[in-house]
Amino acid sequence: MSKIAKLSRRHFLGLAAVGTAGLIAAPQLTFAQTAAPTAAPTAAATAGALPPAPAAGPIDLKAAGGMDALVAAAKKEAELSTIALPNSWADYGDMKKQFLAKYSFLKHNDLNPDGGSGDEIQAIKDNAGNKGPQNPDVVDVGFTWGDTGKKAGLFQPYKVATWDSIPDSVKDADGNWYGDYYGTLLFEVNSDVVSKVPQDWADLLKPEYKGQIALGGDPTKANQAIYAIWAAGIATNGGKIDDGTAGLAFFAQLAKAGNLLPTIAQDATIAKGETPITLRWDYNALANVATSKAAGVNIATVYPTSGTIAGVYVQAISAYAPRPNAARLWMEYLYSDEGQLTFLKGHATPIRFDDLKKRGVIPAELLATLPKTDVKVALPTLEQINAASTNISKNWSTMVGSLLSK
Amino acid sequence: MRRASFWSWLWLALGLTYFGVPLLATFLFSVQANRGLISFDAYASVLSAPDFARSFLFSFRTALLTILISAVLLVPTAYWVHLRLPRFRLVIEFFTLLPFVIPPVVLGYSLIRAYNGTGLTDSSEGVYIIMLGAYVMLSFPYMYRAIDTGLTTINVRTLTEAGQSLGASWLTILFRIIFPNIAGALLNGAFITFAIVMGEFTIASLLSQPTLGPYMATLGSHAIYEPSALAVLSFLLTWASIILIQRIGRGKPIAAR
Amino acid sequence: MAEAVQSAALSSELPTEIVGAPQGQTTARFHFSWNWLGVLPFLAFVIAFQLFPTLSIIVRAFTDSTGHFSLDNIRALNDPVVIGSYWSTIKLSVFTAIGGGILGLLLAYAITIGGLPNWIRSSILSFSGVASNFAGVPLAFAFIATLGVTGILTKLLKSMGIALYPNFTIYSFSGLVLTYTYFQIPLMVLIMSPALSGLRREWREASENLGATPLQYWRYIGLPVLLPSILGTMALLFSNAFGAQATAYALVGGGAGANLVISLLVGSQSGGDVIANVGLGNSLVFGMIVIIGITIGIYAYFRRRSERWFSH
Repeated sequence: MSKIAKLSRRHFLGLAAVGTAGLIAAPQLTFAQTAAPTAAPTAAATAGALPPAPAAGPIDLKAAGGMDALVAAAKKEAELSTIALPNSWADYGDMKKQFLAKYSFLKHNDLNPDGGSGDEIQAIKDNAGNKGPQNPDVVDVGFTWGDTGKKAGLFQPYKVATWDSIPDSVKDADGNWYGDYYGTLLFEVNSDVVSKVPQDWADLLKPEYKGQIALGGDPTKANQAIYAIWAAGIATNGGKIDDGTAGLAFFAQLAKAGNLLPTIAQDATIAKGETPITLRWDYNALANVATSKAAGVNIATVYPTSGTIAGVYVQAISAYAPRPNAARLWMEYLYSDEGQLTFLKGHATPIRFDDLKKRGVIPAELLATLPKTDVKVALPTLEQINAASTNISKNWSTMVGSLLSK
Repeated sequence: MRRASFWSWLWLALGLTYFGVPLLATFLFSVQANRGLISFDAYASVLSAPDFARSFLFSFRTALLTILISAVLLVPTAYWVHLRLPRFRLVIEFFTLLPFVIPPVVLGYSLIRAYNGTGLTDSSEGVYIIMLGAYVMLSFPYMYRAIDTGLTTINVRTLTEAGQSLGASWLTILFRIIFPNIAGALLNGAFITFAIVMGEFTIASLLSQPTLGPYMATLGSHAIYEPSALAVLSFLLTWASIILIQRIGRGKPIAAR
Repeated sequence: MAEAVQSAALSSELPTEIVGAPQGQTTARFHFSWNWLGVLPFLAFVIAFQLFPTLSIIVRAFTDSTGHFSLDNIRALNDPVVIGSYWSTIKLSVFTAIGGGILGLLLAYAITIGGLPNWIRSSILSFSGVASNFAGVPLAFAFIATLGVTGILTKLLKSMGIALYPNFTIYSFSGLVLTYTYFQIPLMVLIMSPALSGLRREWREASENLGATPLQYWRYIGLPVLLPSILGTMALLFSNAFGAQATAYALVGGGAGANLVISLLVGSQSGGDVIANVGLGNSLVFGMIVIIGITIGIYAYFRRRSERWFSH
């Protein structure tokens, strides 16, 4: 009995497996994503071969036929998917609200608000070819991702009406990506808990700040944390922009001294006093200052005296955007005076700042809220950013993480 | 056996302390939105936000569907494995534990890619089906373990034989004999599944579905007291829902001891 | 109807092996094929929603950036940070699986056989449903609010003269153990309660009649009967802790995450703000799959041994 039974068992297990696998593979075969049997869908996914992008659309407003034509085309699409835009980040909350009030025919899909640049790029890659609401039309990513995204063919070019007033150093000549705002790193300190607020990087090493300092993100992948580490090294190195090794060494010292906590500082933990000292972009810190004030918590912001760093974020339209006209409408809004001033309201410096100031369109009260500093601010190039980001994210765990994990 | 010993009360007391104190700490923090006063401002701002009820109900419906599909898939399978395919048990247990090691982000992206050509990913409704499938997968470890434990304590073979000797068909045995006897275990598995679906964020966010998870994340991120208020609220609401399911589940006779 | 069958079952003889249809072995082939059809829906579902992601990870773990087969990603696992992370996560999962398992078992005992009122049992069960999934940022923050530098328990202990800090910190391995246990215990309670309820009263009474002490009852009857379920649930608890990510990220994700928890190391290789090593990410997950496989193997070994005591 057992011999016959064993054959039957294997026989049917095999048939069952092939049968169901075939059923699953069939849809892919029908739609010709791949032309090979079961193993191929996996292979295609591994090779990372993206489907060919749809033909590029109009390069600017003129080619699109003017603003009215663009609005009409966007009306037909009736939807816009943005990704990784937290409400309190450079006042994207108001930006989204105002945009949707202006173009009320658009349904907004607010994807993954707390995602990082890598999540955004991944979303484009994995949704390439589908038209659902989870496919992002536009992205706002760290500076280095503009370049890599272009090289991977993930963006489609578009030059907004105000293209010429965007500085050349922060945009792609072909129009694939373009800087939108920038900020400067600073110390954000809960001054109710910390009586003597640190003024410079060297102060952070003092024993009075034991167990009080935390980064604003994961140093193995978050832009904000990586720039903080980098800035520490640059400042303590006399302003020389290196590959991040000096920063790692500084943070290793911080960890050894017991001043560094291995946790992510958030608005709640700063206000509570658990992570009273943190290093974040000024626009994030200033947004928290206002919120905390309302709750009766005092937060101080300090630009470290020996120097800090600035970081630019860039916008891009996905090459696979299912709703490219709505995407272009969004870009036109972001780079309009109204949009740029909204960034300013969120304490971030809009990329067209010089142009706006020259034309005198910035309200005086708004101009007064712009974070200003006299300390030396490092402005790294693309190559430097790539090198330091890779170096810091790769070596943090070995150089510093091991000191923090007990 | 209804004598409650000292030890029972002790374990209960310890358990309640361990579970209660962190919740209490969260609650205490959430009412500090107005310095110096006990205030429920944070709760007001959470509840008054639009679409809170809508997201909650959307997640609620999704959770119930998940439990249903999961139970329909797993109860016959676990029963069959106990009865006829004991060697297959390990294979199934391995598969039911796999959802733990696949990071939800990876699961989400892989599913989108897998179904990219099928048209399922082109609409919100199609993507909902994918999300439902993912949630049923996520519930497998708990549902299967609960059902398996339930089946282990009842004598499956004997019950089946007795049922067969009384002339019952397989379906009758499954629904009128096995099911009522493991209903208690199944219900416990359902509770966990319910909580998982209500709180799930990553996959819902990747698939752009209006569930409670992404909604709460958008509301709470970068706010100070709202996240804690949200945590307490969602805990209480989920608990209330589970008690509701418990009450409804009591309608069927459960073999109580 | 359930009760009728149950009494028929209880009064029946010792259970015999069911080898096939009552018709006998002549229809053996037909019958075994029918057995496999029974698990076909489950398999189909697993293939559709689980196997594709799993297989694509495994394939990608053995593929380099040009798309060819390569062991580079696997070799990259031989790194002190990676090995330290795996080891740390295994320790974390074992501690919380056993610790949470034992504590959960005791609580489950208390609310089922322990004789506590029925309303306590249903409340604890429903509470456990929620608590077993109370993980991630809310849980981490709850523990920070309790045992953090400014936590209420910390302050309470300080007022009693016991200073937790700076020797102890919630942002550490021990902090993770404490926090993970919060969702491990309820899981154990939920799954073991039906099993404990299933211990038949007759066995207890019979053993008492034969003069056995409660300890002897548990040692020779109670625990052996329960052991397969206990072990299986602890394997579940292990996997639960092993794959957990959100809680660890919220507690130690700001600098020690990748060193302490393997799923955070995976996370830093994919979907961050910087160029990530996706190949390494895939091989890390592959390693996790292997470890879960080994866990199942260990559990299977112990279960086979324990099932000697309990013949189905």
